[in-house]
Amino acid sequence: MKFFYSLIKKVSYSLLLLLAVIVLNFLLLHIAPGDPVETLVAEMGGATPELIAQLRSDYGLDKSFPHQLLNYILRMAKGDLGMSFTYDQPVVKLIMGRLAATMILVLTALMLAVFLGTILGIMAAQKPKSFFSGFVTLISLAGYSAPVFWTGIMLLILFSYLVPIFPSFGMYEVGSSGNMLSYFLDVLHHLVLPALTLASIYLAVYSRIARASMMDVLGSDYIRTARSKGLSERVVVYKHALKNAVLPVITMAGLQFSQLIAGAVVVETVFSWPGMGQMAFEAILRRDHTLLLGILFFSTLIVIVVNLLTDMSYRLLDPRIK
Amino acid sequence: MADDVKMNEIAAPSRRFLEAWYMFASNKAALLGLGLGILIAGVTIFGPMIYPTDPFEMVGAPMSPPGEELLLGTDFLGRDILAGIVYGARTTVLVGFAATFFTLVIGILIGVLAGFYGGWVENLLMRVTEFFQVLPALLLAMVLVALFSPSLYTIIFAIGVVSWTPVARLTRAEFLKIKEREFVMAERAIGATNWSIMWKVMLPNAAPPLIVAATLGVGVAILFEAALSFLGLGDPNAFSWGYMIGASRDFIWDTWWAVTFPGLAIFVTVLSISLIGDGLNDALNPKLRLVK
Amino acid sequence: MRTKLRKWRTTFWLLSCMVLTMGFTSAYAGTPVRGGDLITGYGQFPSHFNHAIQSGAATAVPGCNIFASLVETNTKFEPVPYLAKSWEVSSDGLTYTFHLVENATFHDGKPITSEDVAFSFEIVKANHSFGPSMLGPVDRVETPDKYTAVFKLNNPHPALFMVLSPALLPILPKHVYGDGQPIRKHPANTNPVGSGPFKLAEFKPGDYFILERNPNFFRPGQPYLDRIIGRRIKDPNANFIAMKKGDFHLAMFNGGLRLKQIESLKKEKHIVVTSKGYEAIAPVYFLEFNLRKEMFKDVRVRQAIAYAIDRKFITEKLHSGFSKAATGPLHSSFPWYTDQVNTYALNLEKANQLLDEAGYPKKADGYRFSATIAWYPGEPDSMDTLAAYMKPQLKKVGIDVQLKPPADFVSWYKHVAGWQHDMTMSNIYSWGDPMIGVHRLYLCDNQKHVVWTNTSGYCNKELDAIMAKASVETDFAERKALYAQFQQILTEDLPLIWTHEAPYQTIYHKNLNNVITSVWGAASPADKMYWTDGKMP
Repeated sequence: MKFFYSLIKKVSYSLLLLLAVIVLNFLLLHIAPGDPVETLVAEMGGATPELIAQLRSDYGLDKSFPHQLLNYILRMAKGDLGMSFTYDQPVVKLIMGRLAATMILVLTALMLAVFLGTILGIMAAQKPKSFFSGFVTLISLAGYSAPVFWTGIMLLILFSYLVPIFPSFGMYEVGSSGNMLSYFLDVLHHLVLPALTLASIYLAVYSRIARASMMDVLGSDYIRTARSKGLSERVVVYKHALKNAVLPVITMAGLQFSQLIAGAVVVETVFSWPGMGQMAFEAILRRDHTLLLGILFFSTLIVIVVNLLTDMSYRLLDPRIK
Repeated sequence: MADDVKMNEIAAPSRRFLEAWYMFASNKAALLGLGLGILIAGVTIFGPMIYPTDPFEMVGAPMSPPGEELLLGTDFLGRDILAGIVYGARTTVLVGFAATFFTLVIGILIGVLAGFYGGWVENLLMRVTEFFQVLPALLLAMVLVALFSPSLYTIIFAIGVVSWTPVARLTRAEFLKIKEREFVMAERAIGATNWSIMWKVMLPNAAPPLIVAATLGVGVAILFEAALSFLGLGDPNAFSWGYMIGASRDFIWDTWWAVTFPGLAIFVTVLSISLIGDGLNDALNPKLRLVK
Repeated sequence: MRTKLRKWRTTFWLLSCMVLTMGFTSAYAGTPVRGGDLITGYGQFPSHFNHAIQSGAATAVPGCNIFASLVETNTKFEPVPYLAKSWEVSSDGLTYTFHLVENATFHDGKPITSEDVAFSFEIVKANHSFGPSMLGPVDRVETPDKYTAVFKLNNPHPALFMVLSPALLPILPKHVYGDGQPIRKHPANTNPVGSGPFKLAEFKPGDYFILERNPNFFRPGQPYLDRIIGRRIKDPNANFIAMKKGDFHLAMFNGGLRLKQIESLKKEKHIVVTSKGYEAIAPVYFLEFNLRKEMFKDVRVRQAIAYAIDRKFITEKLHSGFSKAATGPLHSSFPWYTDQVNTYALNLEKANQLLDEAGYPKKADGYRFSATIAWYPGEPDSMDTLAAYMKPQLKKVGIDVQLKPPADFVSWYKHVAGWQHDMTMSNIYSWGDPMIGVHRLYLCDNQKHVVWTNTSGYCNKELDAIMAKASVETDFAERKALYAQFQQILTEDLPLIWTHEAPYQTIYHKNLNNVITSVWGAASPADKMYWTDGKMP
């Protein structure tokens, strides 16, 4: 019951956050130097004042500010994010077409970072003074300190140009006929470099958290008891300590999901990965406000949902959290 | 007992500083970071005097490789990469510090108010903080810079707006910790104003983790500037390392050096900052593990 | 194309002249063989495939493969039969009678008839942005029988055959597009039923499209290629690598590549680079002064800046020889062009001297004055790169240049159309005749709050009179003399500094044959294109 109550509370709070994002979107649209009518008029090479007035009323730009805001919220509530003028298609449709690519990239990178990060962190924690531990620290610092696009470009030069074992761009070979398996392998092949690049930053963060929490756990009474029972080190570490050490990593991963989505913008641009991030950059260059803000809204929506899920699963897993 | 220690710390900040320094100095990685940091600071301050080539000037043949005409070669316009790195240090470091300052101002203000007043003020401010946390930072920064047209000011502004939330949370957390401490109570008892308790008593005590956060923040801001410049949203009137990479990214196969060296410069700078930040973290907050 | 085409009448003239200057290699390298895919990268990607209602190469290039037209244009600016197997032109030039091939069908199997021609004419005239100008002289299309279409004109139209080519007048099926739905939002725009050599097989907006061979195409045996795959390319690097590795086979309109990359590709054994196929456009790039700003009112300041800019460096170093230095307002391919003008060869000493004379001495900081340069967004080689060059170069004569990068097209538009700029870089397409594409920049009464008009605020009554005369002069020599005066006056007054002419390049795999078969370049059907031995590399 308590869980149910907190769920309701969390969901309604998330809805409130969404509303705030919509209002922010609307405000940004207003700050923008060119409104849709100005863009149209510029592209038509000028227009008469009458036509401009007509267009303004067509676009509802002659209404009062609160009126426009209300209209905007109502439209968003109906799932209408407007039309993209560069693609001449509904924004929702465009985003849906790109969503899968971004999610594949982001989730793969996330899993890679969490998995590798935890493993590296644990191994380092077992021998904190060793060379290996220092090496992990160094790698994690390097991953964190290098600009992500630079890491990407370096990987491209190395593995797509000097030693061409991975494709340099895109998500799949268009036109290659084949079954599901070969398609899957094709995407996987294209995925390696972008996912590694995106994972590199977060790998650093996660391995440090995992190392720290593992060192904490290994020092606790609970593990000492396990050891004293004569269990092997492997069993102690991977069966008993792991569960406790991995929790903070997952929390952090949930918290940082929005940064991961943002990182995808850069990685997608470097590797021409056909996702939302790449589209966001194009939208900015071509000043397609509707599309850009649609992407901002959508990625925020994803983050909110992920946060909600992390939060709820955490509550289920760990009843001590209120 | 614990509070006695706190009181001592206030009484003897120099002792605490010395202790921290010993901790820091015993950390080899931190010292390496400090060494690199001093080197970069040297380049930033004295570099243009020692190597006075104008980075905008087309001094050599376009795309000449390192060592042929110039030490680090030239970019697609024939601009000296080394000159770019020397001058770019100023812009990059300037953006790093200015944006961090802006970040601190917003973050501390919100964190202090939330942590000190509690209640609905805290509630409201923390909701605002959470709101900014769910927005993908780089995406929002891109939107802001694009809307206001790229310049150093808009870049600094945008980085500040998207990266203050950790500072606010940290400040608030520290304030909540020390709010009920005796020395704060004592100040209240002698009738100190809220204002002076907030800024003169509590903030200095919350400083150590904030110093660490600020240090690491400079690195984050530099990475932000680089990413924005890479995406074509840099200030073309200011030679920054990010701008160099962004300008040459279409030519990476022909002039790998024009992308590699500025990237390396960013990498070394951020690495040095990270090492210093880690060292400070260990030295100032032995108990606190800062994850960023 | 963003520059509006108003009249096509005089285009024909220019096009005919160009024939003389072009040398063409043999069109056929061996016997065409069927087979293979063509993969090509698109910088600007089509949002639909109906170029009857949309100008611009992005739509026209795939569109020309999906839709056929009455005639094609060869490399000598002559019309050749396409859907029209023959035609007659009346002696007064007011009636054009076309006889259609009788076995041609649309992709849905229905026959192509004169009704469809008349319908397509109406659609283009009413909806294409060049429609009213290029089809203005045509009054109506009559359809005496199923396979005869008669164009009735009000005035002679020397460029009509150019207009009837695949790029401008695609033949649409009336039974599909004429079903009453508004043409701009017609579902068949993204899912076309065409008349041309290829059919749309797959389309993922903003990502890729696949065209496959139309087995019932009316030209026997053609097309030779199995499929044409168009992939959207955002990152020039990706296109560059793909071309270099041979994964992509063709890049048109520079394919979003930077000139340095094209130069590097040119060195590859398997790649051919050509500037042919863009004869009709002729773009001129320039640096514009806002003469309303105090320092630019003095002609000596403008001349000083002209002397400070090294065009040779721009064309040879920055553009790797792909561009040509401009000497004045007219493109050098124009028949009225003259090089008998002051060309302002690099002379920093003279530039400094002129600036001193104009009353702008160097101050303590080494600068005389500060000024901004804005530029049209979207052409990095001709704009961003040049801006990066201008800043240090003008510093040499003591001008502190502040670069004002365009946030986007609208911001730049508002800045320049609002006459706020100090200087801006921009370009125009010449569209065949000075009175169409060039006069608009200099006419006194064309100072509008619209870009690509006289935004510099220049006004010279003498020049206005010359332009007025040249617009009605029919004698070529007379007209050429007028334009010589025109060029001489402008190169003295310098409301703009014309920096360079930048032709587009087409880059393709050497095993690909019949790539450029028309002055329209890539905006023509690829039914004759084939792979050597019918195999993709």
